[in-house]
Amino acid sequence: MRRAFLRTLGIALVYLVSSAHVGSPDTWFEGNAGPYHLTVQVQPAGVVPGVAIVNVRANGDIPESVTIQANRFDATGAAPPPEPAPAVEGDRGAFSGRLWIMTGGSNSVTVAASGPKGSGKVVVPVVVVAYSRLRLEKPMGVGLAAMGLFLFGGLLSIVGAAVREGSLGPDEMPTPRTRRRARNAIALTSGIVVLLLAGGWRWWNVEDLNYARSMYKPLASVSSVERSAAGELVRVSIADSAWIHRRDTLWLRRHDANSWSPLVDDHGKIMHLFLIRDDMNAFAHLHPVTSDSVTFSASRPSLPPGRYRVFADIVHESGFTHTLTSILELKPSSQLPAAVGNPDDSWYAGSSAHDSRKAALESGATMEWERGGEIVEGKQATLRFSVRNADGSPARLEPYMGMPAHAVIMRDDASVFVHLHPAGTISMASQMAFMMRQPGDTVIGTLGKRLSAAEMSTMRHAPVTVGTVSFPYAFPKAGNYRIWVQVKLNGKVTTAAFDTKVSSGTGS
Amino acid sequence: MAVTIPATTDSSRDASDARGTSRVFATEWPIYAVLAASISIVVGLMWDISWHRTIGRDTFWSPPHVLEQAAAIIAGLSCGYVALRTTFAGTPAERAVSVRFWKYFQAPLGAWVCVWGTIMMITSAPFDDWWHNAYGLDVKIISPPHLVLATGMIAIQLGAMLMALSAQNRASDDSSKRRLGTIFVLSAAVIIEMVSVMIMEDASMANTMHGSRFYAATALVIPVFLVAFARSSRLSWPATRIAVVYMLITMTAIWVLQLVPATPKLAPIYNPVTHMVPPPFPMLLFIPAIAIDLLLSRFRMNDWLLAAAIGVVFVSVMLVVHWFWAEFMLSPSARNFFFGADQWDYTSRLGEWRYQYWNRDVDASGNWSPVRFGAGMGIAFLIAIFTSRIGLAWGKGMARVKR
Repeated sequence: MRRAFLRTLGIALVYLVSSAHVGSPDTWFEGNAGPYHLTVQVQPAGVVPGVAIVNVRANGDIPESVTIQANRFDATGAAPPPEPAPAVEGDRGAFSGRLWIMTGGSNSVTVAASGPKGSGKVVVPVVVVAYSRLRLEKPMGVGLAAMGLFLFGGLLSIVGAAVREGSLGPDEMPTPRTRRRARNAIALTSGIVVLLLAGGWRWWNVEDLNYARSMYKPLASVSSVERSAAGELVRVSIADSAWIHRRDTLWLRRHDANSWSPLVDDHGKIMHLFLIRDDMNAFAHLHPVTSDSVTFSASRPSLPPGRYRVFADIVHESGFTHTLTSILELKPSSQLPAAVGNPDDSWYAGSSAHDSRKAALESGATMEWERGGEIVEGKQATLRFSVRNADGSPARLEPYMGMPAHAVIMRDDASVFVHLHPAGTISMASQMAFMMRQPGDTVIGTLGKRLSAAEMSTMRHAPVTVGTVSFPYAFPKAGNYRIWVQVKLNGKVTTAAFDTKVSSGTGS
Repeated sequence: MAVTIPATTDSSRDASDARGTSRVFATEWPIYAVLAASISIVVGLMWDISWHRTIGRDTFWSPPHVLEQAAAIIAGLSCGYVALRTTFAGTPAERAVSVRFWKYFQAPLGAWVCVWGTIMMITSAPFDDWWHNAYGLDVKIISPPHLVLATGMIAIQLGAMLMALSAQNRASDDSSKRRLGTIFVLSAAVIIEMVSVMIMEDASMANTMHGSRFYAATALVIPVFLVAFARSSRLSWPATRIAVVYMLITMTAIWVLQLVPATPKLAPIYNPVTHMVPPPFPMLLFIPAIAIDLLLSRFRMNDWLLAAAIGVVFVSVMLVVHWFWAEFMLSPSARNFFFGADQWDYTSRLGEWRYQYWNRDVDASGNWSPVRFGAGMGIAFLIAIFTSRIGLAWGKGMARVKR
């Protein structure tokens, strides 16, 4: 009981994993809504149902009005009416609104903007899960306990008065017998109330436990290095029973387990696998293949031995995204590295750029982080990078899996991991899933096939970017971070690493 | 003269009636104020539930919340004023019908209960808010903060009932007895409505009426109140009257809510409703209530035996009536404006479950088990006997309340 009390009386709001990405619950998107170029940040409540805060910033032309609208991927009725996101006073171009998100899973926020330039809308996929635990802060706990005691005392007084005087006529006075009965009634009521409170306390703890069990956990996974005829392979297996039995409806029902939809390609890959050594001086971005959606294999990259943290991004047909996490011990290899299985696989061994500002790329090119001021937790950071050729001219950034650049950010203790693009933290496959879903897509897998075809087409037609890329993001908490930025120059993927310190903004 | 006398007599009778009415109101206004609060609370609660099932968008200031908050404020302020006035400026007559609180303060018992209920409701607000932030909006009726809120609401309603009850018990003339007895029945019916809403998730839908859980839930909350109220009322057929008023309140809610156009404001929408979703048709409580009235008025026996008889008869009558009533309510004949059946939340994914029985007593293989059903009903009988016994004792005490 005492432990339960202390547990409830803690004071911290504890962040755990947050669906795709780790420890980074906000969704970021940058793109066009018709004629307006918008940056959208969705801050989920951390509980379901809860109120999400949606911040919209117009870059360039500023719309007159912005509305926001939530929906879930499988809603069969029309979407609810949009909510206004009023302009933020004193901050031109900024809009902010609140949205109730009632059901967990794959949701979307549609942002519509209209103004003199016309109107347009964009769908931002948002994975909603319960990930936060709010402890009862001491002042609140003490206040509630004080009110409880007052009410308890008041109830006993009322019961005593009722038995002692309730039945008396106008001129009658309580007798010793009625006074005794009143005392007995008070004692009996005290006992009953204490029993009820004990029951209520237990009930609260059960609810708390049930909530803790319902909090988001990524599918369990394991990783290993296997030898094959073609060389060593890095293998990631989804070990979660709910996934292994995903087609067994009876098993799922018996175990009250979630029914996951199939995986779909994101940027043309079924999985984006990241290996980051504990000291952060070795990094790989791989794209394993699978035949059963359970075991995923990629050629072992030529990375130094060590203990690696493994992050594997996958996307479901529903639009739900996961980042699977595991640990991989890379031993010195006796074999030569296998031929690169996937031309989009890339890796980097080395520390961050000398001054965390300008990094040397291959062929004499450079990448410079155009840093703004101090980076503060929770505030949008300037993640703008300019890439120049050896002669100083802006480099031609070829699409790398349909994107001008990819960035991976990790806190030095791995409590934060995020894979983002200039379009933000969203999965492009999730966004397309929302845009392409038809009412008839009730058979699992049908939407996935159309998605793959559409993605391939989008990637083929992705434009070349010249010189500069930027990523919309706010670091979720203070600490030391490393950022790996990957671009494709002259047909080859190249990686730069930067370190940064994020402050809490409170001067500590 | 012959023409003028009746005229004079009529006008002086009117004046005398007006004076009488204003005198009655001057002394009884707190009863009417808390009764209005009590009714507003239950109306607000039913409206709020319909709001969540239809519109969904929740704020502290949604219209049903405002109605409930206003009701709590009316009850708290009225009774707080009565307590202060009785304590500091009460006439001897007013003090003679009050009880002492913490030795010094004086007010009628019902007023203290109302004040306590108001403070309980106020306490629930930050607790409920914290709960939503910690675990998400609790879209269910029974959760710890909601139970704290409901306890406050029921206390206000009990306070209203006690104020009517003590006035009824003190009334000396027939007119006052009838008037105050009717107010007591109304305030008691509001409490029956309130507790039936509390068990709505287990015992309201016709789909649940073939499971022992329905009968256990009703046995837990209905007899204790219905028996106590019936025993303390001075009118004939009190339980029946209370049950009929309870049914009329619910049926009025069903008919009024269906007339109000409304659409969901939150996602996801699986059932695009076009008007406020009404509550389920009320339980046919008047039939077991007739049995309770007959047992209370015709049989003189030890209270334990009487409780056993009431408990057994209550559950038996509930079972026979609702077993067959459920079949009607799940049939197409009930899917109309009058009965309001087959109307579901905007979040419901409509399916065959609408016309099936839920919470059935099944064995491990999922088949209906007479043994499990019998055991469940046995528990319902025991619960009803126990709660009837509490109701009898409570009713006996309430019949004597004069302050």
